Order: sequence, then C-alpha cells, then structure tokens
Amino acid sequence: MVCSPCPFLLMDQHTPQPERARGLQMARSMCWHCQSEVTGEYFCDRCVKVQPVSKETDYFTCFGVPRRLLLDPQKLETKFYELSRSFHPDFYQTKSPAEQTISLSNAAVLNTAYRTLRDPIQRAEYLLALETGSVKDIRTSPPADLFEEILELQDTLEEYRASDRDSDQGHRLRATLQTEQEALERRKHAMEAQLQQLFADWDQLQDAGEATSLARVERDRILKQMRDLLSHRTYINNIVNDLAATIS
Amino acid sequence: MAYSDKVVDHFNNPRNMGSFKKDDADVGTGMVGAPECGDVMKLQIKVQNDTIVDAKFKTFGCGSAIASSSLATEWLKGKTIEEAQKIKNTDIVQELNLPPVKIHCSVLAEDAIKAALADYQKKTDGQPTGTK
Repeated sequence: MVCSPCPFLLMDQHTPQPERARGLQMARSMCWHCQSEVTGEYFCDRCVKVQPVSKETDYFTCFGVPRRLLLDPQKLETKFYELSRSFHPDFYQTKSPAEQTISLSNAAVLNTAYRTLRDPIQRAEYLLALETGSVKDIRTSPPADLFEEILELQDTLEEYRASDRDSDQGHRLRATLQTEQEALERRKHAMEAQLQQLFADWDQLQDAGEATSLARVERDRILKQMRDLLSHRTYINNIVNDLAATIS
Repeated sequence: MAYSDKVVDHFNNPRNMGSFKKDDADVGTGMVGAPECGDVMKLQIKVQNDTIVDAKFKTFGCGSAIASSSLATEWLKGKTIEEAQKIKNTDIVQELNLPPVKIHCSVLAEDAIKAALADYQKKTDGQPTGTK
C-alpha cells in the first residue's frame, strides 16, 4: 500500500505558484515499488515506475496548473497529450500487471480531469465544489420569478405540442416560443459574460494571495455569485434546450 | 437505465397536475429547484382545518422528478399538516424504486413539501387556527 499524505495539506493554496507548476509535488509519497520518496509528478525518480494518482489529488493538481478559472486551453491540451502518452497502454505491454493497472486507472482519472477542466462552466462547478465542499452547502435562494417563468413556458410548450402545427394557433404559439427562446438565449449570454468577469476576479484574488479578512469577504462574494449564476444558467439552459428541441 | 413501472405510470398519468391561486389564504406554495440538474418543481397544498384537502404540482424535469412530485401530491391529500411534515424522501425512493442517481429527485420533492407547508404556515401565522 502506498501511504500518501493528503496533497491538500501539503499545498499552500493561497500562495501564488504559477511557474512552479511543472515540478509540482503531487503526492510526496513513497514509491509502491522501491519505497523511496517520490517527488516527481507521476514517476518514481529512482526506479522510474509509474505512480498512482492519489484519490485526494484534485484535477488542477493532476494537470500541474494553479486553481484558476481562466486557464489557457492550449496549454491544458498540450499537457493532456503529454500525460496521455505517458500512461498509454502501448508502453505498458511488457510491464508488470501492477504497473498496467496503475497506468490504466491514471489514464481514466486524467480523461475525467481533462473533460472537466476543458469546459469553463464545468471547471467553475468543479472549483466551487473544491472550495466550498459539497455544492449543496451553499444552496442558493431559489429564483422564484425564474421558476414561475419556466413553468409558464412549459405550459405554452405543452399547448404547442398538443396543437395542430399547421393551424393558426400552432403558428402563433410557435412564434411566441421562438421569441421566448431568443430572449432566454440573450439572458444566458449575459450570464456567461458576468461569469467571465467573476472568473477574472477569482484569478486576480488568487494571484494577489492576500490572507486579509477583506480578501476572505471578496472570496466568499465571488463564490456565492458564481454559484447563483451557474445554477440560474443551468435552469435557463434546460428550458432553452427543451424549446429548441420542440420548435426546431 | 430503465425506470420502474411506477415511475413510468406516474410519468404517463401524472396525478394532480396543475395549480391553485398562490395568493389564496388556504393555499401553501413550495417552489424549489435543483441547481445540479436544472429541474424545477412547484407543489401546492390546499388546507382546511389543519388538513390538506387537495394538492397540485407542476414540474419541469426528468421522469423521476415528475413521478416524485406526482406521488407526493397523492400522499399529501387527506393528511394533517403534522403528518405531512413526516414524509421523507426515502419513502418516495422506496415507493418508486428510484436508482441512486435519481435520489436527488426525491429530495427535491421533500423540499417542495416542506416549502409548501412553511409557506402555508407563514400565511396563517398569528391567526388562531382554533385547534390545539
């Protein structure tokens, strides 16, 4: 068994560590094979055996990037290919079963990590979960107006589904729904622009790395607003997709 | 993943779909949403003498969310406020045979019940109900 201390405890998350990324110590642990200390990323310095990604390792750490929201997609992709190669099954065919298992499960973690970090929205959701524990901990006040609107639209949608599409009523309902869809899409884009601003605010705050109470207040504000916007966006996204699927 | 027969039944024949006037004094409205999946649920109760005489719902979401709220309205009818407080999401999970990935739908339904009861109680707060 590899006994690895939690990397969260080892990393000071509030100090900026931009270019240290590459040599990031992901799990200062013992090599499962030669028992020497592992300080590299995924391979033991001494016996060069592949090391398992610890369960506590977050996706940002996996990719050796700081916990920021405006990541460079190009750099992320390059790193993904680089790591994918190093865990590729082709290179483990002649290795021991233990190494094959480790490389395979590392590749699986890496894929999930990449899929999460590649998408700005999923990345933000993930960061929120990391920073605030379970997402439910900061359950937002439900946007009652938005809900009313969604349920009302739902009624119109039902009406349209039940109507004769070629009738006057069908045409009228379709036009109404189309207008609604466009309006909702505009709102979604406005929300995404707001999110983008919050992402920048977050990164700036992290880069400043201050541990003042003011910084803490600002941190909580950003996370809370991000949580609100992300969930409102999900609600709107769902109904937009439903609208699009029905009237297309 | 296949839905259980009960979920399919509630989905195809939802009970008590619709709404009451939310400003009526004898109506309690619970409006909840799950930010994780974007489901939205509105559940309303009509109360007379501390007993829920009618319940209605409207849900925008997946089959399990619709079934959970449909079942909840069925269960609510005829119950006293106190009895209604005791409905747990696990009861819904059991009745509908919901798989683990759909448990949050039953949680949403329980939240909706709690919110509707709280809304009704807020409306009647300060007004003697005559009983108890």
